[in-house]
Amino acid sequence: MPSNAPALEMRGITKSFAGNSVLAGVRLRAAAGEVHALVGENGAGKSTLMKILAGVHRPDGGEILIEGRPVHFSKPADALAHGVAMIYQELSLAPHLTVAENVFLGREPLRFKPLGVVDQRGMNERAGRLLKEYGFTVDPRAVVGRLSAADRQLVEIARATAEARRVVVMDEPTSSLTAHEAEELFRLIRDLKRRGLAVIYISHRLEELGEIADRLTVLRDGREVYEGAWGELTQEQIIRHMAGRELKEIFPPREAKRGEVLLRVENLSRAGKFEDVTFEARAGEVVGFAGLAGAGRTELVESVFGAQPFDSGEVYLDGSKFNLPSPARAVGLGLGLLTEDRKRTGLCLNQTLASNLTLANVGALVKGLLLSRGRERRAAREYVERLHVRPPDPDKTAGRLSGGNQQKVLLGRWLFAGSRVFLLDEPTRGVDVAARAEIYRAVNKLAEGGAAVVMVSSDLPELLGMADRILVMRRGRLVAELDAGRTTQEEVLTYAALEEEVENTNDE
Amino acid sequence: MNDELKAGGFQLIIHHSSLITHPMSDWVKRFLPFASLVALCVVIAAVEPKFLSAGNLAGVARQTAVITIIAMGMTVVMVSGGIDLSVGSEMALAGVAGALLMAAGTSPFVGVLGALAAGAACGLANGVAIAALRIPPFIVTLGAMGIYRGIALLITDGKAVVGLPQGFGWLAEGEVLGFVPVPLLFVVAVALLTHFLLSGTRAGRYCYAVGSNVEAARYAGVRVSRYQIMFYVFLGALAGLAGAVESARLVTGQPTAGEGYELRVIAAVVIGGGSLSGGQGSVLGTVIGSLLMGVLSNGANLRGISSFTQQIVIGAVIVLAVTFDEFQRRRLETAG
Repeated sequence: MPSNAPALEMRGITKSFAGNSVLAGVRLRAAAGEVHALVGENGAGKSTLMKILAGVHRPDGGEILIEGRPVHFSKPADALAHGVAMIYQELSLAPHLTVAENVFLGREPLRFKPLGVVDQRGMNERAGRLLKEYGFTVDPRAVVGRLSAADRQLVEIARATAEARRVVVMDEPTSSLTAHEAEELFRLIRDLKRRGLAVIYISHRLEELGEIADRLTVLRDGREVYEGAWGELTQEQIIRHMAGRELKEIFPPREAKRGEVLLRVENLSRAGKFEDVTFEARAGEVVGFAGLAGAGRTELVESVFGAQPFDSGEVYLDGSKFNLPSPARAVGLGLGLLTEDRKRTGLCLNQTLASNLTLANVGALVKGLLLSRGRERRAAREYVERLHVRPPDPDKTAGRLSGGNQQKVLLGRWLFAGSRVFLLDEPTRGVDVAARAEIYRAVNKLAEGGAAVVMVSSDLPELLGMADRILVMRRGRLVAELDAGRTTQEEVLTYAALEEEVENTNDE
Repeated sequence: MNDELKAGGFQLIIHHSSLITHPMSDWVKRFLPFASLVALCVVIAAVEPKFLSAGNLAGVARQTAVITIIAMGMTVVMVSGGIDLSVGSEMALAGVAGALLMAAGTSPFVGVLGALAAGAACGLANGVAIAALRIPPFIVTLGAMGIYRGIALLITDGKAVVGLPQGFGWLAEGEVLGFVPVPLLFVVAVALLTHFLLSGTRAGRYCYAVGSNVEAARYAGVRVSRYQIMFYVFLGALAGLAGAVESARLVTGQPTAGEGYELRVIAAVVIGGGSLSGGQGSVLGTVIGSLLMGVLSNGANLRGISSFTQQIVIGAVIVLAVTFDEFQRRRLETAG
């Protein structure tokens, strides 16, 4: 009987937090040797379901069966003991330890067992073998904190898969990987499949899932709304299941007149990051920046904003040179940067929504010497309403908002600051479809209102749908300028990845 | 920051719960230190009626004044994500500086201004090292603790500064309206000023933002260094004021004054809901935290409980307060 039972079955899983039902009886089945895609908007319950599987949360109801036998996980070690391993989206490595020390954290090979002396050399060797086997070129002796985000993700993957015997869960594992590294990961996943593991793969990127997924479960509002073999549904159908709405509603049309040049960047260079970049953005225009991870787009906009230095070149705002860059000066001149990492450089998580929304323009709240609570609340309410922030509660702690709503608050911050040039770095990363559509609408309104928008995005359909022009960066240089109305994803990708092996760029 | 609670279907429920659970726990958090203080007073008053006498209460006010004044500044610095271990030394140096001025013949007014200026200068040095040189505040002020104490001992040759003017003692021992101790007036004024600063000004808003996420504040255009320096100067000036009050109480400028005060000051902030990781804390909380410790030791003194035992109890209170805070935070996070 256990032989034809799935490697993993979760049945009727329910979970509520503080009276809010998050999972309302979810079923998830994954067979040995299968890659099972788990998709759903943010908030659909994927992470909670996986945390229950990992033993982080306990379900309120339902059962978990491993190879047909019911199990109870009350802590992560229980899940591991049953061969269930998890790769977290947010990195969980110890930055001061080496790669090998992280891979073997908690189960270090020992030499004099009773004394607990770690066999450092043996550990490095074993970790080295493991990484090599996976095709990852990471030095096991390197300190994790000095590695790039992508290498850290690889270490995380190596650690989790080394532990997994039955089920391995990957939550957005490619979000910080290059196309080439992602390909290595897919190779590893296929290898895990051959070894008979069930792989549960969570991702927003449907193209990527197409490469590896065998089956698919779609979650919406805490229930599974679809389960079936991958390929039975088209992408549009999957999105409709996730969102309960049509794809074409997502990119609303825009009617903006192009005005004068608001931002001009000339020959801007920063050693090792980007070189000799020249571009301009006009009022009413959305300029898209495409490129692979590490192409220098984030570094470029951070330098334009003054948050990072640059070595040479010039930035002009409204035709006048912007000399001594600092974010404070940039904000004063009407520049706003929606950063790539909203938790690190965007939000004050333990402060209120209102406080976060008004942070770049507190001066507008000051009446005489005093900060006016009335003005603060009015400002917060106005932008909460305009951007449909949910819940519409100015006193809500920012950290308790969903990703999409956090992003809307940050966009609202620059609206309230009266910015005229918006630098948006991955504005919809980790944001669900409904919030995306609202962000797109807001961006359109900005352009229609005469602002210049520079939009960095790794989501090509988004760039094609939103931008007027697409500038492609590769290894720190601008390599192409394309008319968004005429170009295709394939063309953009070809420019972005020309020197990389084109086969790895997932040209779909 | 659990991202589960965001699908459309839950919006109504979330909003509903935010009306109930969130302010509720906030309310508990604010109320608990206050409730503990009231309960403590009731218990002490029941077993020791003398506790409620005007003389004893005035005594409590006098004893806690110096700590509370410094703790107001520490609240600002800790809300901004910093810490200052050198406040006891700053206080001694400022007290000695003021005393030296007065011993040289200036008026008490000039003496107090001198103490304020000396304290502010110490704070400025700390702030510049922390904000401009980007050295962790714990390390900078650990060093500064030794440096300022050393300077205070050097300029006095390790001896108390005597010969202070007659009227100076009023600062610590004086009374207004026949029963309100002068130090209490200082406490009230400083508390109001600090409350105004934190909750009513742009600097206060930035203080919470910088403490909550310094990078986010920088990217929002806040001139972070400038404000950080300002917060340390504010704390230094208050340590200077406390130094003047302490000198008045001791009727001499003592270079060894204020030893160990930094821990009591930080304890007051922490008991009052301030967080060592920044972004949280309030004037009212800190005042209650300081009073809680003062009342506890006053009650113990009235009962004849040794100061050794008191130290144990106060230590336990600090750990309990932080534990409660931490559990509260975790509960919110998993519920979030």
